Amino acid sequence: MRTDDLIDRLGRDVAVARPLPTPGMRTAVWTVWAVSYLIVVAVMMFAVMSSAGVTPTPLYLAQQSAALVTGIMAARAALASVIPGGKNRVWVLPAIGVATWAAALLGAGALDLHASGTLGVTSQSDWPCVVSMTLGGLVVGAPLVWMLRRGAPLTPGLTAFLTALAALSFANIEACLTRPHAFAVTVLLWHGGTVAAVAALCALTGPRWLRWPDLRTR
Amino acid sequence: MRAITPRIRQLVRARRRFLGDSDVEDVVQEVLLSVHAVRATYDPARPLMPWLSAIVRHRLADAGRRHVRQGAHEIGVDDLDVTFQTPVANSREETFGDPDALAQAIQALPPGQRQAVELLKLRELSLKEASALTGMSIGALKIATHRAIASLRRALRGTDEG
Repeated sequence: MRTDDLIDRLGRDVAVARPLPTPGMRTAVWTVWAVSYLIVVAVMMFAVMSSAGVTPTPLYLAQQSAALVTGIMAARAALASVIPGGKNRVWVLPAIGVATWAAALLGAGALDLHASGTLGVTSQSDWPCVVSMTLGGLVVGAPLVWMLRRGAPLTPGLTAFLTALAALSFANIEACLTRPHAFAVTVLLWHGGTVAAVAALCALTGPRWLRWPDLRTR
Repeated sequence: MRAITPRIRQLVRARRRFLGDSDVEDVVQEVLLSVHAVRATYDPARPLMPWLSAIVRHRLADAGRRHVRQGAHEIGVDDLDVTFQTPVANSREETFGDPDALAQAIQALPPGQRQAVELLKLRELSLKEASALTGMSIGALKIATHRAIASLRRALRGTDEG
């Protein structure tokens, strides 16, 4: 087919496309969804257990704040990565967030070591959190994937990685809210391991589920 | 679309100097389809060229990857005339190879069938892409192709026997 014929066909009966809101605006919309999910889980936990089971110490709050900021920055980076012509290094801010989150956990681990004489690496397995984070990540991440699929999958692996990081950061807060952990290193190994494994899996499979939109004239 | 096409063509040529005209045009068409599909990501308040260049760059990379992937499963053959000497081995289907007759037979097809053959068999588009271009449903495209192939087989058999 000649290129001119293709242009004629594409121009025929085509609806005016409303520009997507900015990545910042779309991040705000997704964050409202993710925070709402956390609030629902927290309310349910209070209703069932009369308490969330955790003590909100400054260190705990610092870890969860770092996870929250990481999630928001990763979501923004993922949404920015599907806009052609944007910044290439979208991953920098989420990387800083992850580093801060890990530093908060390592700091708490050092305090655990000082107080208990052990890091507690083998003291507690955390399979329930792995399951909870994976399922919670699906609930939180599904709308983000839907939003991303309206964009251009320029770097599907990186976008999928950032999506998983965003969703699981919020799912981590949910897991920490519903299940107390005696040692910070347990959270670092099990929660961090879950985030790393799921994000790596998403990065590998991203090109399969973040494809160019249907080329049918919309 | 018409206004940005020369610029897309220029960008493709600049980045893939070794491509022939038809290959360049294939990539240009792919970029046009992509631009059309993600046009909602363009912010009119921002400059057009970085947006367009990013799409061209990534679609070129995709095309390059696809080319390498396909190349890995193909074997280059210099000479295709290997066959057995006996007349039995050279069946009618194998010896038929008149491109002019094939081109005439395709031209003689009804428009819908001809378009289906051109898009799916000659240009090797996917059913989804062909459907997007023609506005025909995938089912209708399959039926048109099936009927076209049957008609071509009949027509070419007649040509061959005649």
